[in-house]
Amino acid sequence: MFLTVNDENYEHHGDGTVAALLTELGATPEHTALTVNGELVFSKDWKVFKFNGGDTVEVLTFVGGG
Amino acid sequence: MKDEQTSLKLGGHEFKSRLILGTGKFSDIETMVRAIEASGTELVTVALRRFNRDKPSDDLCAPLAKLKNVKLMPNTSGAMNSKEAVRAAQLGRELSGSPFVKVEIHPNPHHLMPDAIETYLAAKELAADGFIVLPYIPADPVLAKKLEDVGCAAVMPLGAAIGSGGGLSTADMIQLIIRDSNIPVIVDAGLRAPSEAARAMEMGCAAVLVNSAIAAAKNPVAMARAFALGVETGYAARQAGLMPKSAVAVATSPLTSFLK
Repeated sequence: MFLTVNDENYEHHGDGTVAALLTELGATPEHTALTVNGELVFSKDWKVFKFNGGDTVEVLTFVGGG
Repeated sequence: MKDEQTSLKLGGHEFKSRLILGTGKFSDIETMVRAIEASGTELVTVALRRFNRDKPSDDLCAPLAKLKNVKLMPNTSGAMNSKEAVRAAQLGRELSGSPFVKVEIHPNPHHLMPDAIETYLAAKELAADGFIVLPYIPADPVLAKKLEDVGCAAVMPLGAAIGSGGGLSTADMIQLIIRDSNIPVIVDAGLRAPSEAARAMEMGCAAVLVNSAIAAAKNPVAMARAFALGVETGYAARQAGLMPKSAVAVATSPLTSFLK
């Protein structure tokens, strides 16, 4: 499945779940927030959420900031 | 706000420390953690960014989670308008579980001055949504009062431009904000020296937020401790009550002559 992840074309080889994508990316789920097509997908909904081909995904985390 | 409480109160949360730390610009995470510990702060700001597959070590969540007495305040840096700031705040709350948000909207990278109108709109919406909102603002007493009216937990006027080390260049305006404010006034941005933090506290500020002055110091951990002392000293001095100023000398020793 082809997605756009953080502005880059990305081929996802998993089952389209959030857990599968984050594992592929090497991101820690508890340290990650997600938007899909501009909408926030709450972590409580991650177990039932499935990506569709062509989705634009943003994977976010905290970095240092003032 | 004439703040004579012994603890800093923000949205129903109490803090013993009146020093808030930013987590940007540190050379490495270990130094940042040690500086946070040395400062005694209980509230730190963090920024939201895209996950970097090539540098997963940038992730601050794990090291900050180990600091048990420290709450997170996500900021909205990168937001160009109120809509983006609200979205960033919602993402920050989702990720941190923290109700605190530092609203900062500064579209011009040259001077990073806050956009007063967009900041007001975002702060109003976020306060209505239950956030504990601390907006980073120009030192404008009119704006500060309006932000208080829409439910902000504090206002954070700048002392000087972000990262400039320009000090308390807006001191007169901050004094006016303090005079009329019923919520804590926190100087955010521009401080360079602990003496400036002490002065802000003497003036009546409830706290100061410091990042660059500590992170860019030769020894950030030692500077974090120095700022903690500066804040403590300034606050203690305000509690003690500064002597009145006089335009002329007022003798401390008897002036009667006895050596003739």
